[in-house]
Amino acid sequence: MENTNTISVNPFAKASGKGKDIKEKAVVGITQIAVLLIIAILFVILGIIIYQGRDKFSWEFISSFPTDGMTKGGIFPALIGTFILVIVMSIAAVPFGTITAIYLTEYAHEKSKFAAAVRFSIRTLAVVPSIIFGLFGLGFFIQFVGTGMDTAFNGGELHWGQPNILWASLTMALLTLPVIIVSVEEALKTIPRELREASLALGATKWQTIKKVVFPGSISGIMTGTILAVSRGAGEVAPILFTGAAYYLATLPESLSDQFMNLGYHVYIMSTQSSDVEKTMPIQFATTLVLLILTLSLNLVAVIIRSRIRRKAK
Amino acid sequence: MRDIKIQVNDLSLYYGEKKALNNITMQIPANKVTALIGPSGCGKSTFLRCINRMNDLIPSVKITGEMLVEGVDIYDKNVDVVNIRKKIGMVFQKSNPFPKSIYENVAYGPRINGLKDKTQLDEIVETSLRQAAIWDEFKDRLDDSALGLSGGQQQRLCIARTLAVSPDIILMDEPASALDPISTSKIEELVHELKEQYTIIIVTHNMQQAARTSDHTAFFYMGELIEMGKTNAIFTKPEKKQTEDYITGRFG
Amino acid sequence: MTHFEMELEKLKDVIKKIGTLAVSQVGESVKALLYEPIEGKEVKKTEIKIDKLDVKIDEICQSIFALQQPVASDLRFIMASLQISNEIERIGDLAVSVIKRAKNIKEKHDLISKFGIGDLAKEVELITAKTNECLSTQDEKTISEILNLNKNIKSKGDTIIDKIIEEMKSHSKVVVSGTNLVIALKHLERISDHSSNIAEYVYFMVNAKIIKHEKHEDLNIDKLD
Repeated sequence: MENTNTISVNPFAKASGKGKDIKEKAVVGITQIAVLLIIAILFVILGIIIYQGRDKFSWEFISSFPTDGMTKGGIFPALIGTFILVIVMSIAAVPFGTITAIYLTEYAHEKSKFAAAVRFSIRTLAVVPSIIFGLFGLGFFIQFVGTGMDTAFNGGELHWGQPNILWASLTMALLTLPVIIVSVEEALKTIPRELREASLALGATKWQTIKKVVFPGSISGIMTGTILAVSRGAGEVAPILFTGAAYYLATLPESLSDQFMNLGYHVYIMSTQSSDVEKTMPIQFATTLVLLILTLSLNLVAVIIRSRIRRKAK
Repeated sequence: MRDIKIQVNDLSLYYGEKKALNNITMQIPANKVTALIGPSGCGKSTFLRCINRMNDLIPSVKITGEMLVEGVDIYDKNVDVVNIRKKIGMVFQKSNPFPKSIYENVAYGPRINGLKDKTQLDEIVETSLRQAAIWDEFKDRLDDSALGLSGGQQQRLCIARTLAVSPDIILMDEPASALDPISTSKIEELVHELKEQYTIIIVTHNMQQAARTSDHTAFFYMGELIEMGKTNAIFTKPEKKQTEDYITGRFG
Repeated sequence: MTHFEMELEKLKDVIKKIGTLAVSQVGESVKALLYEPIEGKEVKKTEIKIDKLDVKIDEICQSIFALQQPVASDLRFIMASLQISNEIERIGDLAVSVIKRAKNIKEKHDLISKFGIGDLAKEVELITAKTNECLSTQDEKTISEILNLNKNIKSKGDTIIDKIIEEMKSHSKVVVSGTNLVIALKHLERISDHSSNIAEYVYFMVNAKIIKHEKHEDLNIDKLD
């Protein structure tokens, strides 16, 4: 193309004014530094844990019992105990949370006072400090329900009225309920109104619509919620402090009325009540490492599922 | 009018305090296509949704008056809404197939009604897809996901799905407005074929579509029924000036 | 076949019907002119049928315009159909007028054989038959033949009329018959003209070119494009 009249002032040239330029760069720079800082801190923490626990971290560690007053050996019972805890917790919390979420999304009227009260309770539950759950578990499940069960079925003999894996799981279930409800609600809301309308217009009842159209679409949300709940439940310690976690057990728990060991609790007692804190340092770090791997990988899976749901919703 | 399928008497609809439909009285003839036309917001879709009581889903809605389908007031307290919707099907503006296979989409209605026998279901699926003129296209891929189909195919699938429950009346809310011209004309041709067996009421903002496809036309404006008559008469010599102004494009 | 196509087929059918009826009316008028005065009732019935079909065609076309928004060849077909129906109805009318005039012609045989009217009448029958055929076939060769035939009929007719006027000047007894004959011949010429118009409308339908009011001097259809 021919070069016609060149314009003396280039309208597309960069705006002059060094001040503005510096400000723009400064903002970008500060954000970058903040992000780097966070990543750095994360790496440092992880680094310390990995470094300090690397000796102890092995298959043997995961699969054997603690020995020598818990200064040697593995964390197998704590691992199993944690597993059983999250399973029972999920059995209690997931159906209950799913039903609540279905009620809130599908059945509750916009102006219903009851629904508003439910939502408020869930929000409050989500911010209650975890130690309060522990106290509640002790006071309600153990001292009220448990003792009540003993009086009714065992003629007063102490069986259920004490800390065990059942009460600890139920207490943990209360803690993780909001997470499940929110995840399921989120998944239910991605199902467009048009699909519900299509089902109803074909002569389906509301329940049939939920069972055949809404619920199948919310499975991924239920999965996300469950995984997040499990990852939370695996790591929280305060709710199980006095509702069932034990310092040391020679055997694995055999029934719901038994006590159990727990990874998080194990780290706590290792660092505060062990006979030789120095000696058990590697064990603490290794246990922490196991716990971290567990919760981080669970969270990662949940994030992947959640992003798949969001992409589908678009 | 030979056979009256629906008799509407003084029907009004309120969104809270606001009156959206004002004392509608009209007759819908059986086995004919009735088109509802009018500018945006005139209430034609709202009225359509009154016929299968889909407006019940909106909490602030209040409806007065009567809607008699074959003599029975569907707003009567003793009437089960679920049964109404089995007799009065609906096809929506934007096609909304379930995220299931083609087969399962069409079989949804019969399954809801308790039908379990596979042979019977197969037969119903085939009949419905044939009626919707898409059996040949789909017969070899009934297990494919409905979401992979084009817009026009999805909409015809939704029509097949509606037909599978054997309704008497089919409501169509701007069924072709989201489709390209070829798909649109296929749907219009389908409407012609279906009216032998069903009574069809179609809402459309496309007047030419109403002219091409319907036997009777009702013109709505600002929540009121202005004029209703044979389509031929409405488009050649409408009685009310408002109707003529709308049809000739003077407003709306 | 779509609903719209069925409407178009319906229209084609009605046009065929009205065309056939008009051809039969022309046939009756020629018979009445050349041979015997004929029974009026049948002719009247056919005239009423033709009028009714003309109205029906109007209604169908109006309906198609309003409801189907035809374009391109469909649009030309509807437009042409309206015009053609009109022309056919006029042909029917003219045929009836010829029959009325024929009643007042005495000494028919002499006049007719003297001036070769028999041939002219047969040509008029031919042109209407060809026109009716051309409605279905829309064949350009036929259109060309019709336009030529019309020219011949008109010039022949004018020649015969001049001769009759000469005859009337010298033989005053034949003035009444002669005048009626002249009028009847003029009607026949008009019938031929209307047929030619119809052919022009068919040409328009097929080629989207309006050739009415043109002189068609050199009737080479190819040159018309």
